[in-house]
Order: sequence, then C-alpha cells, then structure tokens
Amino acid sequence: MLDNSRPSEGIRFEELILDDRVHSTLYTDSEVFEAEMDSIFRNGWVFICHDSEIPKAGDFVRRNVGRDPVFAVRGRDGEISVIVNRCAHRGNIICQEERGNAKAFVCQYHGWAYDTKGGLVDVPYPAGFKGDFSCHGLERLAKVDSYQGFVFASFNPTVPSLGDHLGRATELIDRAVEMSPVGRINLSGGWVRHQLNCNWKMLPENDTDGYHVNFVHPSFAQAIRSNYDEAVLQDEESLKSEAKDWGNGHTELNFSPSYSRPLEWFGCAEDRYPSYSKALREAYGQEKGDKILLDGPPHAVIFPNLFLGEMNIVRFEPVAPGVGLHIHTPMYLEGVDDDVNQRILRQSEGALGPTAFLLADDSVIAERTQLALAGKGGWLDLSRGAEREVTDDNGVVVGHLTDETSNRGFWRHYKQVMQGPDQSSPTAAAAAA
Amino acid sequence: MVTIEERLRVEEFLFKEARLADESRYSEWEALAEDDMHYWVPAEAGQDPDDGRISILNDNRTRLATRIRQLNTGVRHAQVPPSRMCRIISNVEIETIADGEYFVRSNVVLYEYRIQADKEMEVWPARVEHKLRMRDGEMKMFSKHILLLNSEGPVRGLSFII
Ligand code: FES
Ligand SMILES: [Fe+2]
Repeated sequence: MLDNSRPSEGIRFEELILDDRVHSTLYTDSEVFEAEMDSIFRNGWVFICHDSEIPKAGDFVRRNVGRDPVFAVRGRDGEISVIVNRCAHRGNIICQEERGNAKAFVCQYHGWAYDTKGGLVDVPYPAGFKGDFSCHGLERLAKVDSYQGFVFASFNPTVPSLGDHLGRATELIDRAVEMSPVGRINLSGGWVRHQLNCNWKMLPENDTDGYHVNFVHPSFAQAIRSNYDEAVLQDEESLKSEAKDWGNGHTELNFSPSYSRPLEWFGCAEDRYPSYSKALREAYGQEKGDKILLDGPPHAVIFPNLFLGEMNIVRFEPVAPGVGLHIHTPMYLEGVDDDVNQRILRQSEGALGPTAFLLADDSVIAERTQLALAGKGGWLDLSRGAEREVTDDNGVVVGHLTDETSNRGFWRHYKQVMQGPDQSSPTAAAAAA
Repeated sequence: MVTIEERLRVEEFLFKEARLADESRYSEWEALAEDDMHYWVPAEAGQDPDDGRISILNDNRTRLATRIRQLNTGVRHAQVPPSRMCRIISNVEIETIADGEYFVRSNVVLYEYRIQADKEMEVWPARVEHKLRMRDGEMKMFSKHILLLNSEGPVRGLSFII
C-alpha cells in the first residue's frame, strides 16, 4: 500500500530549488532523503536490472529500490516480476543469494514457500494455518516494464507509463544497444559496488558534469592518452562536446561531435577490430554503421538511477543522506568477437570503481563536497551557461560541454517530482523547454 | 618444504613490499614487480581472472605502470595527501613452484587512515597470494592477488597500493 501522508509536505522545494541554484540541505537533510525515497523511488520508475542478467525461467537477482529490498525473477512464462524481498509471514528475507536460479523461494524462518510470481504455495503444519493462500503472497511491485531489455519497476500502480517517463531518452538507450550489431547488450559481467560518502544525487550530477574534468582528472590526463583528450580536455573554444537536457531529468554529455575517426571513442583505430566495424555496417547499413562507429556510445543518465556510462552500465543506490553507491558492470555486446568484450571489460575496470583511474578521484571530490555542506550549509550555483544554451528541434536543451545545462535539467525534473503529482506532469519539462 | 633461509628471504620480501606500499613509495614498490606481473583484486569470492567477470582491479604490467605513473603525477586527488597505512602480515605459508620460484599465502590486515576528505580509519582485511622469483640474487614478485574479505562490497575508494 502506498502511504499517502507524504513526508515531503513540510519541505518547501520551491524555495530550495531555483532556476540557477539549489540549497545544500537537499544533500544533507534526512527529511528530504525520506521524501525522495517516497516520491522518487517508490512513486516513480526505477531501473532494476537488464533482462540478460536473468535469461532463464527461475533466474533471479537481488536489488534495492531506494532502500526497499527486492528481487527480480523470471517466471516460467518468461515474464519478469519484481518482488519485495520480505516474507509475508513475519518479514524474513526470502531470497538470500545475490543471484541464482530457483523453482521456488522457501523462507528459512518457518518454511513458507512461494513460487516465482511471489504466490504462496506451501505452509508447513497446514492445520494451524487458517488464512487464504491467495491473500498471503509476497508483495510485488505494481508496475514492471522494460525498454530494450532494461527493466524498470514502480511501487506506484498509477504511475504514468514507462514510455512517458523515458520520453525522448529512449533514443539514448537505442544508441547504447546499437553498439551491438544485433542490437543486444549483455550484463553478465557482475557488478562492483563502490561506496561514496556523499549524497546519491551527486552521482548522476557528476557523471554528466563536463566542467570538472580538467580539474579533478589532471593525473589521468597526464598519465594516459585517451579519447577524452579530444572530447573533454580541450580549451573552451575548441571543445565540441555538449551538455544536454533531454527532459524528465535525463541528461547527457555528448562527446560525439569531438570524434573524427571511427572507434576513436574506443581508444583505438578502426583496423584494430575489423570484424566489429564490418558487422555494424552490415547490420545497420553503411551510413548508420559509419555513424555508430564515429559517434560511439552515449554518456547519459536516465533519471533517477541508471547511467549509460559509454561501455558501462551503472546503478545509483541511495543508502543515507550522506552515503550513496555507484554500482557498475561492463556493457558487453552480443554478436561481436570476444576481444571486443575483453576490451570493454578492461576499460570498465580502468574507468569505474574504487581503484579506477577516474572514479576514485571523483569520489574524493564528492566526499569533500559532502563535508563542506555540513551544518547550516548554503547555496550551490548552477547558472553556468544558462544564457548560451539552445533548444534543438527535438526539444532537447543543448549547452557547451562545460555548462550546467545537464544539472539544471536534473533539478528541474527533481523539483516537479518532489512537489508531487498535482504540480508536475510528464510533459512539463518539454513545455518549459 | 622450503629451507629456513628461503623462508627468511620470502618474509623479508613481504615486509619490504608492505613497507614501500605503506609509505606510498610508488616507484620503489613498482621496481619489485617483474615484467609478467599480475596485480589483481577480484570482486567476488572464488572468481577466476579469466572468466569474464569484472574485477575491482586487474592490472597487467603495462596497466600497473600506468597506475604508478598516475600516482606519481602528484595530482591524483584520491591520494593527495597519501593515506597513512600500516599492514600487519601473518600466517605466511610458502610453497615452491619451481627452482627459485615461490607461491606465498599470507593474511594481511591493512589499517588505512584516510585523510583526503573526512579523517577516517578504514580496515582492509585480506588473504594475499604472492608469486615470487629469485632473479640475479634478488627477490621479485610476478603476481600479487589481494582477496579482500569485503570485495563484494560496498567498497570505499581504494586508490593506494593495496
Ligand atoms: S517469516 Fe517467513 S515463514 Fe515465518
Ligand atoms: Fe569525473
């Protein structure tokens, strides 16, 4: 059951989020955090898993939706259910393994058994059980839907459709899966769970912040030649990459305009993986194949918790106002030679996670920011580039790479969501843009 | 069975390697690594380095050199200033792989005082597996696998030499 006594009622988001700045209490206040768990993580759509993680009937993975423990499981009919990981009897964890395959889920406390849809199928010592099996199933998330294999769910039975939530950003997901000549990605590489002692919102904000790279990552730039030299490390006039607000809180750093050679985004020349380029051109035709090889994968956040991080997929998980998890896996491609996926894996280990050449530095900066926001706090400025961003024909707001177009897009949507359904509608961002 | 002298040499190596890592003397530590070095922190218990599952860290010699180069820039924020560290090494077991080559298991508890953001003590217990070889009278390592007890996470930033 949804709790209708919204905890956000007492918080005046319109006073904390202005067009060009946000107040630091949004990162530190525990009431704000509780309100987010309700308005964003229970009432909205949340990314759960990719269907390639649970390909067979009975396959399951454990996840959290906000702080609620759930598991996603594929039923015998092939459909994926997202089920709260809490026994309907007295609340024990039902699914103990992180991932696996099961025909049924048996509670280890008193032995109630559930099928892969969460239905109660057996109760030990049945003579004493006077309830109705059909009323004692596990709680299922009301809505589950997927796009290109990305599975999203919501506790809210009246949430607008996933299509409404994704809006134009389906194009970003399309671009990710079209890195594969068969249009399929495979998230079978396992996840690394990196803890940052900062508010979870700093993770999507920083992942699509194009302004910090020169300052947070000089050691990377000095030690490693990479595609980022061209995409993000130029001076202001030479930078061709863009910061974008796709609406509904979905944001992107578009590096594609910086690339002039096929596979530059992959840090190599085209002849390094000839069968990969050939397969892409055969699958999508010469023109589109060329474009995919040149543009590379998206670098984009799907609100609130999914990051299409080039050849990585990342989940953000809120733990507490000052603790968030950045959880990543390599985005393996179907229909390519193993050496392509090997390179994706090695690049993933290099870029993301606790030891990485990039994210280890981002995490220290984020933790310092969290420290600086302690106490009464103050305002954070997000005005950069507001006067020079433009709205393209598709309604996407486009700014200079170093501009806070993406941050403003995140917060505009956040504000609508937090203020509640009365004041927000899925198309409001488009109207505002 | 290794001889007492061999055990002493191996233990001496472990202590020196630990001290150079504790003190963030990156290039001196790197000089202990052979060309075929494999430096690895798996993400899951029982992981195989070649099974296509992601690792927390999985460096061949080239990538390790890059890692050291990055630390040596002096602007690797995650280690500016370097963590203060102290590792306690115990339960050392040594097997001979070949003449002058050893497989060494140890238990390590690494205390890390993190001073880059908040000041915090972090503890990293691990089972560690080294492969060492005697070359030109000096002990070197060609493999170091650090099996963190908490590798499945959540794991805090880990940018020092583990
Ligand atoms: S709590 Fe699950 S059977 Fe009792
Ligand atoms: Fe960064």
